[in-house]
Amino acid sequence: MSERTAAPAGQADGRTDDQADRRADRRAERRAERQAEEGERRADPRRRNNRAWLLVLPVVVSVAFTAVIPLMTVVNFSVQDIFSPGDRLFVGLEWFRSVSRDPEVRAAFVRTLLFSAQVLLLEIPLGVLLAVSMPRRGVWVSVTLVLVALPLLIPWNVVGTIWQIFARPDIGLGGWAVNNVLGLEFNYTLDATDAWITVLAMDVWHWTPLVALLAYAGLRSIPDPYFQAAQIDGASAWATFRHIQLPRLRGVLTIAILLRFMDSFMIYTEPFVVTGGGPGNATSFLSILLSKIAVGQFDLGPAGAFSLLYFLAVQIVCYVFFTVLTRTGR
Amino acid sequence: MGDRRLPWKRTVLWLYGITLLLPLLWMFGMSIRPNQDILGSFSLIPQRVTFDNYVTFFTNSVWYSSYLNSIIYTSMNAVMSLVVALPAAYAFSRFRFAGDKHLFFWLLTNRMAPPAVFLLPFFQIYQAVGLFDTHLGVAIAHMLFNVPLAVWILEGFMSGIPREIDETAAIDGYSLPRFFVTIFLPMIRSAIGVTLFFCFMFSWVELLIARTITSVDAKPIAATMTRTVSAAGVDWGLLAAAGVLTIVPGAIVIWFVRNYIAKGFSLGRV
Amino acid sequence: MLPGLEWMVWTGPTAAVFIGLGLLLCGMAVWAKISPPVARRGFLRIETDRGDRLYIGLISAAVVLAGWIAVTDLSMWLALACAFLVALTIGLWG
Repeated sequence: MSERTAAPAGQADGRTDDQADRRADRRAERRAERQAEEGERRADPRRRNNRAWLLVLPVVVSVAFTAVIPLMTVVNFSVQDIFSPGDRLFVGLEWFRSVSRDPEVRAAFVRTLLFSAQVLLLEIPLGVLLAVSMPRRGVWVSVTLVLVALPLLIPWNVVGTIWQIFARPDIGLGGWAVNNVLGLEFNYTLDATDAWITVLAMDVWHWTPLVALLAYAGLRSIPDPYFQAAQIDGASAWATFRHIQLPRLRGVLTIAILLRFMDSFMIYTEPFVVTGGGPGNATSFLSILLSKIAVGQFDLGPAGAFSLLYFLAVQIVCYVFFTVLTRTGR
Repeated sequence: MGDRRLPWKRTVLWLYGITLLLPLLWMFGMSIRPNQDILGSFSLIPQRVTFDNYVTFFTNSVWYSSYLNSIIYTSMNAVMSLVVALPAAYAFSRFRFAGDKHLFFWLLTNRMAPPAVFLLPFFQIYQAVGLFDTHLGVAIAHMLFNVPLAVWILEGFMSGIPREIDETAAIDGYSLPRFFVTIFLPMIRSAIGVTLFFCFMFSWVELLIARTITSVDAKPIAATMTRTVSAAGVDWGLLAAAGVLTIVPGAIVIWFVRNYIAKGFSLGRV
Repeated sequence: MLPGLEWMVWTGPTAAVFIGLGLLLCGMAVWAKISPPVARRGFLRIETDRGDRLYIGLISAAVVLAGWIAVTDLSMWLALACAFLVALTIGLWG
């Protein structure tokens, strides 16, 4: 503000006064910029060097080939009705209109969101419970780590195959047990609810370990004296968890939630193997529907518009993810 | 703390262990039974043990060649991603440059983007440039999500190495490339191993893109597994055997990366 | 670079959009050269610099357009105006 009074004043004319004000504002802004930059340098020891671009160039080129060019092509697809490369018609935003109003697409969107929400609600508490139960030291640490991590390293289509077999009422232990031991009618190839439950159970089986491992990494960073102090105070297990462990888990759990959301939002392979999107449309999530339109029917236009809308949704979540990551990192 | 673990913790672990292993063991059990037994009557323990399914897998060229295809393109992809990502990760961890933050974010969006979005253009591009149905084609396509992954993981590891080392080496007269190869790379051995592993793994598990841009010569094992339905129905025993065999590569190296799994999956942020 | 670009099925409008985006990026780069961007906090409550606000603005504009086309039959020019307004608001005060 002192900048304003220091500005060359004295012009009688209001307009030049205004201009001077604006110039002074800009000068103040630039000074703030310089200060901010200095502060930044103190907080961030990395050297400023634009030649680092040379080191990044290979990545930029390779990802441009695999991401930018395809994305441009998708944009081109989305505004045309294409019969063949030579025979096509510009239709403007028509595909966006029809895709965004297609009840099937909307249903798949809601279904995917619902699935992601259920996945988070089940996997986060289960994963934390598991992490708290894992030993902090001793010979069992490595064994439990390896066992817990096992499902994460199984190819996704094999996870599908495992559950495809396991949940079948005729040849699978799980499906057989539900039918004959619990006495419930259960057949995921015929019943929509059963199919949904199977896919959900499979996802929980597959990805809870990720939450557990992240939470475990967070728990291990808590120094032992904290626990000793809690023990001396006679704190219950719940109190220890609530007041010592949970607060320390905020960072890793945010990462876990966002990762699980992103990955469940684009889930494809596992439900494709188990149910193929069925019965009916019961488990056809966005990716499954999209690849059906794209590869199955080869509808370039609608698939392009669909892809872009899908991509937009992912971009938004991704930006939130990035903002959270870079801020918790500091 | 010692041995004062509460019994409920042990209960949770045991319960989890059982739910974890049951489906896996069940699939293994399927793979060592003849098909008549699988469909004939339900039994918990296999009545007759046979390795026919595995023999079929290794003698039928459709199966073993697609297994080899997967191994070839995932290995190529892991090496290519690593080579491209190493200098970039170093740049991100050591320098500030115009647009670095935005570039880093752009890489992340490619890791997070649903592969389904890129299906059609990939199909078109790879046919146009003659990479359709080749190992190199799949390896390049998988760089879409593996290069960003590698950059993020490596950057996480490299940021943990003090910058003073770079400066000391510079004072000692090392040029950047020489320093990078002779001093820096040996220091981040474990990071390189972990990155290779995760690139290998994410390429190994990917089905959608690999299936779309291949037909015969480079067809991945995952695609072969989804096409086991014949006139006689699904060959469950063979499918289970293939499943068991595709778990093997991951299961072999899991011990070596056990302490880094969380780091790899969280893009190097834990 | 690539043998033939017919498969990319370019059209005038999409080419114009991408050239526009490219110019915008170049412009931002030049602007950053002249006066380096400053991070500050606006009504979005997170620290953003110019580039961030441009990105958020573009994404929000896209959301406005997508939402518009999904629910109303009103003219898309009106939607474009709204989207532009949103992007501008975020760019200036976000």
